Amino acid sequence: MSDFHELIGSFPKTREYVRDFFVYGFKTRNDFKDKSPRTYDNERRRLESWLSPYIRKDYVSNGSNISLAIDSNLLDTNPLFRVWKTKSFTDNDIVLHFLILDLLRNGRTMTAEEITDGLLTEYEILFDIQTVRRKCNSYAKEGLLHKGKSGKTVIFSLDNSLAVQLKSNESMLDALAFYQMAGHFGIIGNELAEQMDYPNRTFRVKHSFFVHTLEDEILFDLLNAMNAEIEVQLEIKSSRNGSRSGTIHTANCIPLQIFISTRSGRRFLCGYVSRSKRFTCFRLDSIKRVCPMEKSEIYEELAEQLNRNRQKLWGVSFQNDEGHHLDTLTMTLQIMEPDENYILERLKREGKGGTVTRTAPDTYVYEIEVFDCNELLPWVRTFIGRILSLQCSAKSVEQRFYRDLETMYRMYHIETETN
Amino acid sequence: MELFSEIYSCYYQVLRHLLSGRNAVTIQDIRNRICDEGFEESLLSIIPKLESGAWDLFRRDGELYLSKLAGPVTVPLSDLQKSYLKALLSDSRIGLFLEKEQLETLNDMLSGTAPLWKPEQFFYYDQFSDPDPYQDETYRRNFRLLLHAQKKNQYVDIDYNSPGGSRVHHYYVPARLEYSIKNDKFRLLALKQAGHGKMKLEILNVARIQSIRPAEKKLSAPVDLNSVIRASYYKEPLKLHIINRRNALERAMLHFANYEKNTTKIGENTYECFIYYNQSMETELLIEVMSFGPMLTVIGNDKFLNSLKTRLQRQMSLERV
Repeated sequence: MSDFHELIGSFPKTREYVRDFFVYGFKTRNDFKDKSPRTYDNERRRLESWLSPYIRKDYVSNGSNISLAIDSNLLDTNPLFRVWKTKSFTDNDIVLHFLILDLLRNGRTMTAEEITDGLLTEYEILFDIQTVRRKCNSYAKEGLLHKGKSGKTVIFSLDNSLAVQLKSNESMLDALAFYQMAGHFGIIGNELAEQMDYPNRTFRVKHSFFVHTLEDEILFDLLNAMNAEIEVQLEIKSSRNGSRSGTIHTANCIPLQIFISTRSGRRFLCGYVSRSKRFTCFRLDSIKRVCPMEKSEIYEELAEQLNRNRQKLWGVSFQNDEGHHLDTLTMTLQIMEPDENYILERLKREGKGGTVTRTAPDTYVYEIEVFDCNELLPWVRTFIGRILSLQCSAKSVEQRFYRDLETMYRMYHIETETN
Repeated sequence: MELFSEIYSCYYQVLRHLLSGRNAVTIQDIRNRICDEGFEESLLSIIPKLESGAWDLFRRDGELYLSKLAGPVTVPLSDLQKSYLKALLSDSRIGLFLEKEQLETLNDMLSGTAPLWKPEQFFYYDQFSDPDPYQDETYRRNFRLLLHAQKKNQYVDIDYNSPGGSRVHHYYVPARLEYSIKNDKFRLLALKQAGHGKMKLEILNVARIQSIRPAEKKLSAPVDLNSVIRASYYKEPLKLHIINRRNALERAMLHFANYEKNTTKIGENTYECFIYYNQSMETELLIEVMSFGPMLTVIGNDKFLNSLKTRLQRQMSLERV
């Protein structure tokens, strides 16, 4: 493995490996049939190096398994943030990074030529002026340097005031500690906090799904498109056919909103597909690439229409299997009063505006009208043990619920109690 | 703006710390720093670069290395970082941390920056509808008192309305503030003296705290919070079997990703998954397992299995009335 490098040039390929290790945590070399053994070995060695404090090794008959032992209840950071800090660079990149920032400290303003001279006189290092200019321009593009003009001459400077202000603002540093764990793009908050030498030792997140940080590059591209109100072409890998063998297809849509599940952390792009004239959701972890297209002239109108449609949305599906526009689900529950009133609270808190009606002592009816009642089933099942009846205008939903129940009765040998 | 860029890389952070030191250091000091902050194999990459002078950032004096830089490194914020900060300033919870004046100052400093996102661009479609009252002044005051005490390891006297309706009054040391995205609420992981010099963990809903009075006393010796949490886990984890149909495996793995778990393949298409949990997680875990219906099979432990069977038995009796 003489060609092994700990750092990498591009993120997407590694994203797949990390996701698989995180999600499945049990794949051996034989499970990666479409990769060469050398590729597998290098990827695995990198992951073990980056994530070493969290790696667990188990020895099984056909080799060793590595998995990630990550319990969000016990962690003050997202271990997968480390994956974002692995970008490779050249010797010139790192040397110029520190020397240019040092040279321009204290408000100095210099041309690329003056910077090149300064690097030689102050640090005794000779650089080609083109290399220095390229680095300064690249840093100006990233916002690390300010690029201006003095007459016809291009000059560079840097402004540290925000970094200094942030470092002395403990309240904002606490906010960064929190948002890196609980907010969007936690990786940026984490890197900022690290830059300020202020690690999080205060906040934990109960329902934290660390793996989704791996999709942040896709999210970033989508938000850029949403902010510019432009249509995008998505390259999508089918998730149905197994995570590594799915086929790639493309879809065009106008990106409108990011939907997130708090229960699985899954994120979806909700977009308008002009060809089918429908709102459709795409899983972010299945999107491989986002290509910007034309500006949409009806963006605001679509955003408002989505807002109206969301009232009838339970999850992420805008249509059902039975071809109805809307379906109604009615669930009658036994709730013993007053001891089980917390169940009523649950219905109100989690029931998304469905009506709750008391029809008899200890009996309540919950009713809701949505696009796709199939999506309600996982939630409905959480009331098992209290459901007096379930009715749905989509008969397949009703049948599936009772069929699954019968299966569970058989699985757990549940039989009618006889007195 | 690049999210995946070397300027945020681990190696740059290690070097920033090494270069910010004003004293000469030995190669062993450098090695120690890399081991503390780098990846497992970073030593193999960084040390040769420094020794060969390819990263010519230190003056050599015999065996010693002295930073060539004139002072500590302060890296300016990139446009991406500014844009991120700007977005945070519109979040409903930012008032827990920043006073109005601080918020205005930061907004002024970021006046030329567009936020990376706007709150309305995200939608949590299954979030509970009764969040903590983040705009309430008493809530904010309590939150800040807890935050301050947590950082100082300071005892606080908390007057609390328990979910059962009783009023509780105790001295606690705030250990962590725990946020739940699903509930959109904060809870306090608090340590309380349990006698014989031991501390026990209690969980309080921040919104149920009536008042907080900081005490003079501080925690005399650090407590390993994770040991306390781990000790609370049941000895026997939940044992599930998953048959990989209709993407069940991936769905379950993602759904239970926030638990400590261990999964192994035990058959052609069957997987065994152990999930570690404690009493406070039990009901929620049972509900989550039930939501999968027959896609998961609970094998053990007995207590969990019995809870599930009891619910199914009760369901059957309701249907067959």
